[in-house]
Amino acid sequence: MSLWVDQYRPRSLEDLHYHLELSNRLKSLASSGDFPHMLFYGPSGAGKKTRITCTLRQLFGAGVEKLKIDQRVFLSPSKRKIEVNIVQSNFHIEITPSEAGNYDRVVIQELLKEIAQTQQVDLNAKQRFKVVIINEADSLSRDAQAALRRTMEKYMSNMRIILCANSTSRLIAPIKSRCLLMRVAAPNAEDMQAVMQHVSKRAGFDLPPDVAGKIIDDSGGNLRKAILCLEALKMQSPDLSGALTIAKPDWETYCHKVADLIISQQSPARVMEVRQKFYELLSHCIPPTIILKTVADRVVERVDEAIKADVMHWAAVYEVRMRTGSKKIYHLEAWVVKVMSLYKHFLFDMDLTGFDD
Amino acid sequence: MVDDSDEEPSTKKPTTSAKPRKSALLSSSDEEAPPKKPTTTAKKSNTTNSSAEPKARASLPAKMDIVSDSEEAPPAVKKRKKPSIVVSSSDEDEDKPSPPPKKKAAISGSSSKPKARASLPAKKNADEDFVISSDEDGPSAPKAKAKAKAPVKRAAKKEKDEAEPEGKGKGKGKAPAEESKTASKPNWAAIQAAKARGPAAPGSKTVPDGEDNCLFGLAFVFTGELSSFSREEAVDIAKRFGGRVVGQPSSKTDFVVLGEDAGQSKLNAIAKHGLKTLNEDEFLQLIATRKGNGKAVDDKTKKKLEKEQAAIKAAAKEMDKKEKEAIKEAGASSSKVVDPSTQLWTTRYAPQTLKDICGNKSAVEKLEAWLKDWPQSYKAGFKKPGKNGMNMYRAVLISGSPGIGKTTSAHLCAKLAGYTPIELNASDTRSKKLVENGMNINNKSLDGFFAGTSTSNSDTMITDRTCLIMDEVDGMSAGDRGGVGALNALIKKSKIPIICIANDKGAQKLKPLMSTTYGLSFAKPQASTIRSRMMSIVYREKMKIPANVIDQLIAGAQSDIRQVLNMLSTVKLSSNSLSFDEGKELTKMNEKYTIMSPFDLTSKILGPYLFSHTARETLGDKMELYFQDHSFMPLFIQENYLKTQPAKARNEEGPDKEMKMLRLMDKAASSISDGDLVDGMIHGPEQHWSLMPLHAVCSTIRPASFIYGTGAHYGGPNAMSFPKWLGQNSSQNKLNRQLNEVQVRMRLKVSGDKNEIRQSYIPALYPYIVLPLVEQGASAVDDIIDRMDDYFLSKEDWDTIVELGVGDIDYETVLKKKISPQAKAALTRKYNASEHPIPFHKAVDLGKAPKKLVADQVPDHEDAFELDEIVEDVSDDEKNTKDPEGINNDKLIKASKKKAAAKK
Repeated sequence: MSLWVDQYRPRSLEDLHYHLELSNRLKSLASSGDFPHMLFYGPSGAGKKTRITCTLRQLFGAGVEKLKIDQRVFLSPSKRKIEVNIVQSNFHIEITPSEAGNYDRVVIQELLKEIAQTQQVDLNAKQRFKVVIINEADSLSRDAQAALRRTMEKYMSNMRIILCANSTSRLIAPIKSRCLLMRVAAPNAEDMQAVMQHVSKRAGFDLPPDVAGKIIDDSGGNLRKAILCLEALKMQSPDLSGALTIAKPDWETYCHKVADLIISQQSPARVMEVRQKFYELLSHCIPPTIILKTVADRVVERVDEAIKADVMHWAAVYEVRMRTGSKKIYHLEAWVVKVMSLYKHFLFDMDLTGFDD
Repeated sequence: MVDDSDEEPSTKKPTTSAKPRKSALLSSSDEEAPPKKPTTTAKKSNTTNSSAEPKARASLPAKMDIVSDSEEAPPAVKKRKKPSIVVSSSDEDEDKPSPPPKKKAAISGSSSKPKARASLPAKKNADEDFVISSDEDGPSAPKAKAKAKAPVKRAAKKEKDEAEPEGKGKGKGKAPAEESKTASKPNWAAIQAAKARGPAAPGSKTVPDGEDNCLFGLAFVFTGELSSFSREEAVDIAKRFGGRVVGQPSSKTDFVVLGEDAGQSKLNAIAKHGLKTLNEDEFLQLIATRKGNGKAVDDKTKKKLEKEQAAIKAAAKEMDKKEKEAIKEAGASSSKVVDPSTQLWTTRYAPQTLKDICGNKSAVEKLEAWLKDWPQSYKAGFKKPGKNGMNMYRAVLISGSPGIGKTTSAHLCAKLAGYTPIELNASDTRSKKLVENGMNINNKSLDGFFAGTSTSNSDTMITDRTCLIMDEVDGMSAGDRGGVGALNALIKKSKIPIICIANDKGAQKLKPLMSTTYGLSFAKPQASTIRSRMMSIVYREKMKIPANVIDQLIAGAQSDIRQVLNMLSTVKLSSNSLSFDEGKELTKMNEKYTIMSPFDLTSKILGPYLFSHTARETLGDKMELYFQDHSFMPLFIQENYLKTQPAKARNEEGPDKEMKMLRLMDKAASSISDGDLVDGMIHGPEQHWSLMPLHAVCSTIRPASFIYGTGAHYGGPNAMSFPKWLGQNSSQNKLNRQLNEVQVRMRLKVSGDKNEIRQSYIPALYPYIVLPLVEQGASAVDDIIDRMDDYFLSKEDWDTIVELGVGDIDYETVLKKKISPQAKAALTRKYNASEHPIPFHKAVDLGKAPKKLVADQVPDHEDAFELDEIVEDVSDDEKNTKDPEGINNDKLIKASKKKAAAKK
């Protein structure tokens, strides 16, 4: 009894509900025998992984669904043990190098070479090559990406690489040029509506379109989120009628609380309170960029038109700094203070010239 | 000073040169008065002007003849220009005005030049001078020494009181003031800028040439921020003239020098004891007018002084006598006579009796008593604790900082108690073997019986009673393999008393000695206890060094008597006297590098003084603070920077203050953010360590320069705290690791990455695997376990999921309050009782001895386990055959094993 989102996941390219063109192209690529390296990118919850799995099934048949997990231990140059979990079938292998943190280069180098240097021994296999899926490719370090470059060309005969990323901006150009780029855009409202109707039909109930619409609005193009939400809602009130409130995840409500704190008072004591809340969120594994985005969205909702642009501008500035820096909280806090200052000045209607130096 | 007067001639004419000062003055007086009351402001500025103007002019005629008169610059232009300059310079937080040259003056001290003195009043800032009350002129004027200052001042006063003789001057004095007033009134930004500037100009004031020791016998307390001296300088000045500076006001305090923002507790104490208060100028005036060398002192202190002098002379005489006796004795006994004048001072003036030892009286007495009692204690088998409980120990560990007489005391006590001290220090090899064999530890040496009075190869006489002094035990290291351990073993069976000496008794190396030795710590002696002895030595050496200089040397050496003596003997080589400033230089040269704790550093950096106008620290000095602990300082600053009351926002009120504070905080926070970027470059793949100074500025100095102020202290509502980042970061890492586990387990079913798991799945799974336990209690356990098995989640993962909740579903509240212990216990029991699918085996778990078994406190199990372990060493395969069930060793059947445990 899995969650619906896992239970009703499409298994083959034919089952996919949207981006049909993409599905067709994948299908023909898989059957052509000349399968390139690929880079799937798009926002989370758009269906990248699902499409990758379907493509693999198209390539190798149902055998790819027999998955097992292995834990491999690599040695860093400084003799530190790095544990990496590997999901694999007979035909493909899936790694998340970002698990190894700074040592992802070691993982990429050793693992890829190892796979590339062995040929497919199963004579009945449909393809002569194996596929390596690299998850979270956009969090690969520079070194790891560089290590990937030559490998991708050299071992083309034995191996294909499928990269999966949220955005291509952090991938170096040589990698992008070696891959076939596959953009999996977030589904639009109609696509989502269709998928959700399909899910509800399979789950055995009728989904009123307006309820679905509400969920879709809330999910922001994240289909995973939408379906999880639908299930939660169904569990909450089985007949899906009446005034439905879509429960927000815990961290989101918490972020909104932080935003309200910023708006309601601007003082050093309040900044420290907010800092404590940020620490709480960060230590509970909410990525800092998500925190900043959620809080900033909420703040923008609540402040006056005049300073909305400024708030967002500074959120963008500090997000970039956050990505380059190491102690995220510093940048989050700097943004909070900036917003407080902006807001206060706006409240007292001060001349802001020369402020943002 | 000379520089300053050079700058004046460049201005066109005396009258015009006074003007820019005035307009600056105006803005500074504006800042004190609320902007909404223009009338009072105007009045105030006028009065300020009338006193300031003539003052400046009166001082200038001296220079007039030097100045070539060129045409007068149009005053209007000049005046309008000035405020605008002020705006631009102080809008962005103006950098500190470079330290006024008065420091130079302060150092030059007594060697005053008449020229400098003549220009002195001119240098003073107008607004500061007019504060000086009229009574100051009285005593200073009739003085024979009357400096140029006095007449000038009187002239100024006269001009102030009566109508100014030069009508022209007056008109000019007033008109520009009003003009600049009107001109700057609409200039809102200028007013704002002046406000941001903070306290009155740190215009330099010179320290008057008071007579030596003119503050003798007076106790001062400084509080608040003075306008032109930093706290340290002011304290220095007071000490230079023989005054005593204490921290807290009490009934014995003579004067309290009040600056701005004086501490409330000190003000209360002033009111309570009815103390006399001085402002900065009165303080300087006191120095200038008070008679020196005890003439102005009352009888009581005079007598005290005389008594002290007599004591010093007596002590010196005593020393003389003793030395002569020693020579005589030495001459009589052997041919080898050491001329005392060739000895080092530290040996020559080493204490001869217990009385001579400075400080630590009780510790020394204890040591002596212990040594005297030692034979009795030995006979009693160290069972009788004695008066101090010391007689239970065969050895003593003396600890304390260097140069406070630990070794000296040990030797002296040993001699006085009738022992022959044998000293072993770091220059001797003290390996285990040598420690065991080389010492007369069993008291078997027959040297004493044979040799009688002859000396051994060293100068010590071996008698039948020896005492081992192990000096510098914390220096036993690499070469002295097993040294401390052997020493410890030695102590346990020693038949002679052993005195160990170390600097730091907390050292890891000395741990073994803790239980076998009596810890005797020597504290740094107070300056007053050292002073008298130093004074008598100085007297005996016929040097002329005043007590305050000795005090300074002692303070500078941090009560290290040896160092003070060495410094004095160095001075003796070149001259027979030492002035205050020379002393200061000397201590600076011999300064020991001290490390402050991050807390002290933080309170110094964020405190009100480091960045105040009167601070003398250069940027380099400030950065030095960061480099004392470069990994912690940025964290501490970030943690505590919001806890100050920024001095820069001090002069604002209401909303203005709040906005100013937010602006300052914003600047500080963005600078901290800059600092993190620099840190990223330092610790990143490229490792640009040369950016450390930049990091120092961005992460520590610059933020503090915005928000420095009172408030970041120990204790209180805004107490400084240890950086939370460290703790939060480690808990973040821990939870991240756990989340990783969860993701890997769920991976077979779920396509999302770690973040998706956290952000979407965990909230979605929550109603299925955690909430039922809250709502339905133990009855929901089966459903929960089913759901968990679907996603291959283990019980640990369940804990992780609960732990990851924030806000309303916080770990603490959920687990501690909402879920009943019974339900939770039911879940655990049930989960452990059944078998569960697992997606994979962790590589590290395989082949490991099962942990659970150790946890069980069943005795025979434990024995069996131990047996297992031994076998394991032999061969893994064998182990499997030996254990017929094989259950304990097989990870796969871990669950069933647990079941057995549960049943039991």
